[in-house]
Amino acid sequence: MRFVLQMAVRETRASWRRLLFFFVCIAVGVAAIVALRSVIQSVRNVFGSEARGLLAADVLIATNREWPAQARTTVDRRLAEAGSTERTETIETPTMVRPTDKSKAIAKMAELRAVQSGYPLYGSVILQGTDTYSYSLLHNHGTLVRPELLTALGVQVGDQITIGQAAFTIRGLIAMEPGRRVGGFSLGPRVMIDYADLASTGLLSFGSRADRRLHARVPDDRIDDLVRTLRDDFKDDFINTRSYRSTEDQIGRDFDRAENYLSLVGLIIVILGGIAVSSVTRVFILQKIRSIAVLKCVGARSAQIIAVYILQVMTLGLAGSLLGVALARAVIAAIPLALGSSTSLLAQAHYGVSWSAAAQGIGIGVLVSLLFSVVPLLQVRFIKPSLLLRDETVRRRADWLAIAAIVVVSAALVALTAWQAASLRVGVVVCAGFAGLAVVLHFAGRGLVALLAPLANSRSFPLRHAVLHLSRPGNQTRVILLAVGLGAFFIVGVRSLQASLLSEFSVQVDASAPDMFLLDVQKPQVEGVRAFLRDKSHGAGEFQLIPVMRARVVGVAGRETTLESAEDVRRSGMSIGREFTITYRDHLEPNERIVEGAFWNTPSAEPEVSVELDLAARAHLHVGDTIRLDILGRTIAAKITSLRDVEWRESRNGGFVFVFRPGVLDEAPQTWVAPMKGPATPAERARFQHDLVERFPNVSVIDFHEILETIRDVMSKVTLAISVVGGLVLFSGALILIGAVAMTKFQRVYEAAVFKTLGANTRTIARMLLLEYGVLGSLAGMIGSLGAIVLTWGVSKYALEIPWRIFAGEHVAGVILTSVLVAAIGVLSSLDVLRNKPLATLRAE
Amino acid sequence: MIELREVSKTVMSGTEPLTILHPLSLQIPHGEFVAIVGPSGSGKSTLLGLIAGLDAPSGGSVLIDSVDITRLGEDALARLRGEKVGFVFQFFHLIPSLTAYENVAVPMEIAGAADARTRAQGLLEEVGLTGRSHHYPSQLSGGEQQRVALARALANDPPIVLADEPTGNLDSANGRHIMDLLREIHDKRGTTIVLVTHDRELAEMADARLVLRDGRVVENTLQVGDREPVSVARVEEREPLRRASPPR
Repeated sequence: MRFVLQMAVRETRASWRRLLFFFVCIAVGVAAIVALRSVIQSVRNVFGSEARGLLAADVLIATNREWPAQARTTVDRRLAEAGSTERTETIETPTMVRPTDKSKAIAKMAELRAVQSGYPLYGSVILQGTDTYSYSLLHNHGTLVRPELLTALGVQVGDQITIGQAAFTIRGLIAMEPGRRVGGFSLGPRVMIDYADLASTGLLSFGSRADRRLHARVPDDRIDDLVRTLRDDFKDDFINTRSYRSTEDQIGRDFDRAENYLSLVGLIIVILGGIAVSSVTRVFILQKIRSIAVLKCVGARSAQIIAVYILQVMTLGLAGSLLGVALARAVIAAIPLALGSSTSLLAQAHYGVSWSAAAQGIGIGVLVSLLFSVVPLLQVRFIKPSLLLRDETVRRRADWLAIAAIVVVSAALVALTAWQAASLRVGVVVCAGFAGLAVVLHFAGRGLVALLAPLANSRSFPLRHAVLHLSRPGNQTRVILLAVGLGAFFIVGVRSLQASLLSEFSVQVDASAPDMFLLDVQKPQVEGVRAFLRDKSHGAGEFQLIPVMRARVVGVAGRETTLESAEDVRRSGMSIGREFTITYRDHLEPNERIVEGAFWNTPSAEPEVSVELDLAARAHLHVGDTIRLDILGRTIAAKITSLRDVEWRESRNGGFVFVFRPGVLDEAPQTWVAPMKGPATPAERARFQHDLVERFPNVSVIDFHEILETIRDVMSKVTLAISVVGGLVLFSGALILIGAVAMTKFQRVYEAAVFKTLGANTRTIARMLLLEYGVLGSLAGMIGSLGAIVLTWGVSKYALEIPWRIFAGEHVAGVILTSVLVAAIGVLSSLDVLRNKPLATLRAE
Repeated sequence: MIELREVSKTVMSGTEPLTILHPLSLQIPHGEFVAIVGPSGSGKSTLLGLIAGLDAPSGGSVLIDSVDITRLGEDALARLRGEKVGFVFQFFHLIPSLTAYENVAVPMEIAGAADARTRAQGLLEEVGLTGRSHHYPSQLSGGEQQRVALARALANDPPIVLADEPTGNLDSANGRHIMDLLREIHDKRGTTIVLVTHDRELAEMADARLVLRDGRVVENTLQVGDREPVSVARVEEREPLRRASPPR
């Protein structure tokens, strides 16, 4: 054992420089794992401790309809039974706000929250500056708003804004409030008013999209019972009950998922480093053959020698992992600087490397180094000391021990991945995917090298030898193709997907498509809104006014499907348990086509409905079946008379799953929506919104241009994040490349010396190297690019369901940049090959 | 005692078998200094490798102190070499990543010797390299490297030292120095020394000679027990063996 330790120390001392790059790859991967896990754990701690604050209650009971009187009685009784000590109510609804000052012709959608005095039961509303939140600030039409609203409307604290039909004075700016999720999608900035003042706005008309919430403080041991009981009480109603615990659980699950999936990305980088370690170990052993033979000659056993190198690999793996932890620490230390003076929850987290993340990172780094070096190290057994007497080649053989080692290593890798992803299925899929990708890259590499083979007969000496070098013994072609190809694949793939998505959105917001959406138009306002939109002075283009109602399927009596109650529907798992927005009309839209049955063109007193094809297939609904829908408390049994194919991508006028025949729903309570083409310029659009809301205060306007901006912003952040990951993979690829060049330099130095002796000048050898790495880079770029094409095709077709487009520019740029990068790194890492004097090299051999 | 019984070695040359060593039997008593001579390709190094257990014979058996080493596995052979056989190569074969001292200490460390450090320093002193112990092989001259290799061969005080053309890669002065050291080791320690050389002058320094040609013994001056020296075949040498270059 002492010998093993001493030799491991000596070998590490002698060869750490040569192996450095490969362990930097391990370091990068470990840094990614440790940093991602630590950051998520830090943020999670904030969210976990804020779970009550997020709900602002122990138990939250919510509905998006008027509270039915009976439900209120039940809630009151249950809360009393559970010993609830305190409660407060809020109502949230998106609405348009505008400056009361008529000279400012602008309006903006905001998320209105009307609160009672006890709000919030947990957490706190924090105001900007020195002000502290007090409910009295909201008294007498006071309002608190997010700072961004001031900029959008050009108003200041002290000014008045109009919400619906009432004016409110801005009394402060909200820095932070309970229940606002970081990064959550919102339709606009928060505006907070007194619950008592909400009526004066006139926003709570029938069918408006208001979320009514009852926040309750309940003794901790009664929470779960209360939630269970209320869920049972309201299983057939549109009333939702949840506790801070379920929120905590949900947040916990979300974070677990995020942590595990992000760690997988880090693991992929570590595995890439592992593949490099495997390759370097193979070359390293080739270089150490004589030393190993000498050790065997002076009495060392194979097991002792393998132990020496395993210890060396683990030492370097440990050093790489520790470096990774240090890198992660440096990155994490920079986060507060990056967040600056932000007041979001993210800025409240205490960022640091968590012990568990560091331990996991180090464990993975060492384990991957070990797993990937074991199989090549087993070749030590076949090195015979007799090769010291005469030149013998060591034959690589696969024996039972090597096969067993491969099986154990594969199983261990699957276990490692499954552990990181916290799912055996994901572990198996990722490992199989990686193995598949490696096999594809391997064969693609071989195929491409074979395609280039004719160039080995080229008249150009440098080109001929550059091509021959790709398949020389001990070449690093495969490992470079895998590492660099994978990096190129990530980056080109992500960039293509981004371009594809953005162009898809641009298509949807093309010149003729509706780019504004009016919501909550009340039935009596329909003619007024129609006249407003037709008035050319407002600048609106084409529009359509559509009546909508919310409905839920509560039963089916059909040929294949029979569901007696709403509970049956929910349990059926046929995706028909959710709430649907329905309409009625006497014509088909251009994006609709009848597949079965017949559509109507006249009203009827008998309820008839046309069902969208995909849903009908999922729920096994047929023409002639009867479906029961709860439409705002009234149950209507309608006969399915047709099945419609809807082209959702073209659904400019809104796509509907259920379309009723006019006659039955015409007089039911309903609101109207209007997809429309808004005015052309931002100023006209702002004025249009202002004028419309001035006339119809309860109507909300969604401006797709703004939404698209939000989507662009989110996408650019996502793309940046994925590009950073792709960049890390490419960076690892570059390190592996440098390391591979350095490892095989001994061969190159000798060849260069022979070439120089035979008359080749430095320039010729430099051209040879440039061509060799240029070709290698092009191959890696092409493989990555081809992979990216497959990726974008798969994701476009199956995940995003958008048409597949090829962005030739991205792919061509990817191939060119990869080949330039690889050629530059290859030549720069080989500078001493060019500089060495041939005689010294030949003597040394 | 080293004993070879009908030992032969055949290798494949392309698809054809090629016999490097024809069946050969001999005994080398303990404390003998024997030189194996013969032209290039006569099978000298192969014979030495078979005695050291570095290579396996195609037929016959090799016994060291009555242990048939052809029946031993790789690990047992390694252990036997560590204990009983020291080896000196023509091309030194020092481990380039280790210093002179470490190269000498390695066999003792493998054997688990407690006083490896002191003994390694002592051996380096014995071969005249006291001040060079922390130099790497690349920082030593050829003669110095071979002296380190010799010290390494003596590390576990083996009863047998096998030397394969130990002067073949050295100038004559250094070659002479190495031979003097081998002689001294033999005389002082009573170590059995088997020296492979194609230099007749060097072979003269040995007590006995074994001459090989084309894989067969053509002369054997070894005395075993009460047996007379055996002359297997007196073959007039048509080409004289190359002599070592005179010292410069």
